[in-house]
Amino acid sequence: MRWVDFKDSVKRFWSEYKHQKSGMFGLALLIILVILAVAAPIITNPNIPKEWQTGQYWVTNPKNAPPSWENYFTKTTKAPEKVFKINNMHITTKKNGSYTVYTLTFTYYMKYNVPPKDIVITGINSTSQTSSSNNSYQPPKPLKMSILVQRPPEKGVKYNDVLLLSNYPITGSAALQLSYTPQVKNLLFYWLYENGAYKLPMQLPSALPLETKVNQLVFQLQMNNTLYGYYQSADPMKILFGRITDNKGNVLPLQSIIYNTQGLKGPYKFTITVVAPPNVTANFNNFEVVMVGRTYGLLGTDQMGRPIAVGLLWGIRVALAIGISVAASTVIIGILIGVTSAYLGGWADEFIQRVTEFMMTLPVLPMLILLSLYLGGRINLSQLVGILVLFGWMGTTKVARSMALQIKEQTYIEAARALGAGTGRIVFKHIVPQLLPYAFANIALSVPGAILSEAGLSFLGLTNPNLITWGQMLNNAQSNGATINGYWWQVIPPGLAIAIVGLIFVLIGVSLDTVLNPRLKRA
Amino acid sequence: MAMGFGKYVAYRIINAAIILFLAVLLMSALFTKLATIQLTTQVDSEVQQWVRGYTQTHHQAPSPQLIEQYRKERMHYYGLDKPYWERTWMYTVDTLLFKWGNSIPAVFGTHNVKDQIKTALARTILLFTTSQIIIILLGLALGVKSAQKPGSLLDRTISILAMFTTSLPMWWVGMLMILLFVVYLGWLPITLYSQVQVSGWVNILKKMSLPVLTIVLVSFGGWSWIIRNIMIGTMQEDFIMVARAKGVPERKVIYGHALKAAAPPIVTMIIFAMIGSLGGAIITEIVFNWPGMGRLYWEALQLNAVRTMMALNYMFAFMTVFSMVLADILYGYLDPRVRVGAAARS
Repeated sequence: MRWVDFKDSVKRFWSEYKHQKSGMFGLALLIILVILAVAAPIITNPNIPKEWQTGQYWVTNPKNAPPSWENYFTKTTKAPEKVFKINNMHITTKKNGSYTVYTLTFTYYMKYNVPPKDIVITGINSTSQTSSSNNSYQPPKPLKMSILVQRPPEKGVKYNDVLLLSNYPITGSAALQLSYTPQVKNLLFYWLYENGAYKLPMQLPSALPLETKVNQLVFQLQMNNTLYGYYQSADPMKILFGRITDNKGNVLPLQSIIYNTQGLKGPYKFTITVVAPPNVTANFNNFEVVMVGRTYGLLGTDQMGRPIAVGLLWGIRVALAIGISVAASTVIIGILIGVTSAYLGGWADEFIQRVTEFMMTLPVLPMLILLSLYLGGRINLSQLVGILVLFGWMGTTKVARSMALQIKEQTYIEAARALGAGTGRIVFKHIVPQLLPYAFANIALSVPGAILSEAGLSFLGLTNPNLITWGQMLNNAQSNGATINGYWWQVIPPGLAIAIVGLIFVLIGVSLDTVLNPRLKRA
Repeated sequence: MAMGFGKYVAYRIINAAIILFLAVLLMSALFTKLATIQLTTQVDSEVQQWVRGYTQTHHQAPSPQLIEQYRKERMHYYGLDKPYWERTWMYTVDTLLFKWGNSIPAVFGTHNVKDQIKTALARTILLFTTSQIIIILLGLALGVKSAQKPGSLLDRTISILAMFTTSLPMWWVGMLMILLFVVYLGWLPITLYSQVQVSGWVNILKKMSLPVLTIVLVSFGGWSWIIRNIMIGTMQEDFIMVARAKGVPERKVIYGHALKAAAPPIVTMIIFAMIGSLGGAIITEIVFNWPGMGRLYWEALQLNAVRTMMALNYMFAFMTVFSMVLADILYGYLDPRVRVGAAARS
């Protein structure tokens, strides 16, 4: 075929394909997908594949949080995420002897029925200048942090200010999750006690230092089964951001404070005090206070706090890579083998057919599982493509052979043979061109199958966890009991993404079929 | 020289037997290797335990010779002293002759592999074969109907539905079904799908409802569409035009002429689908906690029950070979051109 002819036939094909509405729609969607796949590192963050499995990166996100827009459909509003960076805060530095005291203040407006889930504080670095005269190494003394929260005024509350943290040592740069810090809960229970929300068997003597009083309080709580039960099941954030009195100003019983929390809406003034020991300076450049929401972003999060939307975006890459490479390889290999087999006939045909049947005999998914176990249990992308091609070419071969056999029995092949055409000429000039429409359409139509196989293997947990794939997201959802717990945002989007990508290729494939296969077009 | 039909069948069957044998040989080789690793660690731990017990009773560690002797004894017990190929061969023969023996861990509550498969197969037939029959009937009815009037509303609906459902993961649709009917609507109790075993026919039928709905929903569109395409292809053949020109009623043209001519591929599809349904579906059965063949394989895999896995793989391979032979024979019977073509070459 000459270049001009080729160009001409491509032009003719395109002018016909243009009129296929569904095909053009599929093509447009495919282009959008490719753009999204390429732009994934720009839209989000190029480090995401590396961070996907390590929980550290996602620690400030809420776990199993529904999408933020769920609030529009429900009566109880849940707090979304809110980040306070250092430039949102007022900071003052003061010297107190050889100690440095940093004070950071900001105000959080809580206007939701269900308050944030957690407050996470990250990004404090301390640098210490060790004096040269001191040779013996001493571990640097840690920074000490205290947090005071001024709650919005509430009728009947004696102490409006809550001390959340008192001289808490900050080590390293790890994130401080207040909901999971025992001291926070202890101090909140102390505050509840001071406001008269519950009585202790023995009253706390008022003359003691705070630390001793809290220790005594916790000791007494542990001794009392009912109180300790409340202590165990309490959510610190619900106490901090919740009402503790009724409308008349009477203090609510402990049970309704903890189990039937009503959010106390209004401004919460946070004062964070950091005390640095001598020769130590604290660096707040990356300082962040995150109000971890009960809802998150566009599509919520999974059990590790990873945003579903980010996973979906990165999953496009693997889906497209696997789908297209597997489909193209299987169909091309399949057709070549099938046509060769049909045309050669005799012993060669028998042999190729027996090999094909042998491969078909092996059960696909069980063998895929077995092979991935042989390859170390967690297979990577290229191994996956290899296995899927190895077990995928036979169907096309069978169809291509039977089509080629039918074509071979046609009279015009007989005529060509009678005219003295050779094997190669008949195969490539008369048989393969007849199969090309089938091949192109079949490549597009095989993509969904390949993506489904990948999703299935990933769902069974057999693919490399460093790949971000929709199948793995569904595997995650299944192990998290997402269906039973009703976490729909973990189940619906990945499957829908698989279905949409599949549909795109089916639309393209069917349109190709209609354009290239005139027999169907007449219909 | 035309080959007789009986000879054609015999030829096919012998071919199939050879293929099946080779497939089992390959699988035995793989599984024997897996079993070797598993049994060697088993022997190691047994030897260690024996040394500990010996030290406690005799107040001194056993001599290296004694340990070696005990290890040899255990190796012989598990048949590990024989060479790899001999064990593979024995395993192949045992598997082919249905001597499946017992699996080391208990799967589905029993060590007997045959019992495990019997239980699983019954459950899989109940679910998947039932669904497959519904799908075939629906597919034939809708496919033929839409082939009569290509481009009609029904035809376009089926095409769109087929396109959409072929790209849906069946097990994901299953998860959605549970989410919708169990969690949000609460029509079925959650325990039906959180537990594997349910008792009583009513509960089993209830548990079946969602998987059957899922399987039919995902598959019937594709079936209708394929049958539509086969029918449309046939309807454009010259003999249909001749029949119409002769004045044969349209109904007879479709069911008498076209469907008969389109039968070979459709019958092949039905055979493959029916026999294929016996294999169950691993992931769908995991999602619905349905104790069928797929789930048996998955559980055997988790528990490292090598003999169960091997027997299941043999079953799967056997079913595939069997349906291939059946399809070939029927194809040869229904479409004499194929048989003649095959005979002419030989």
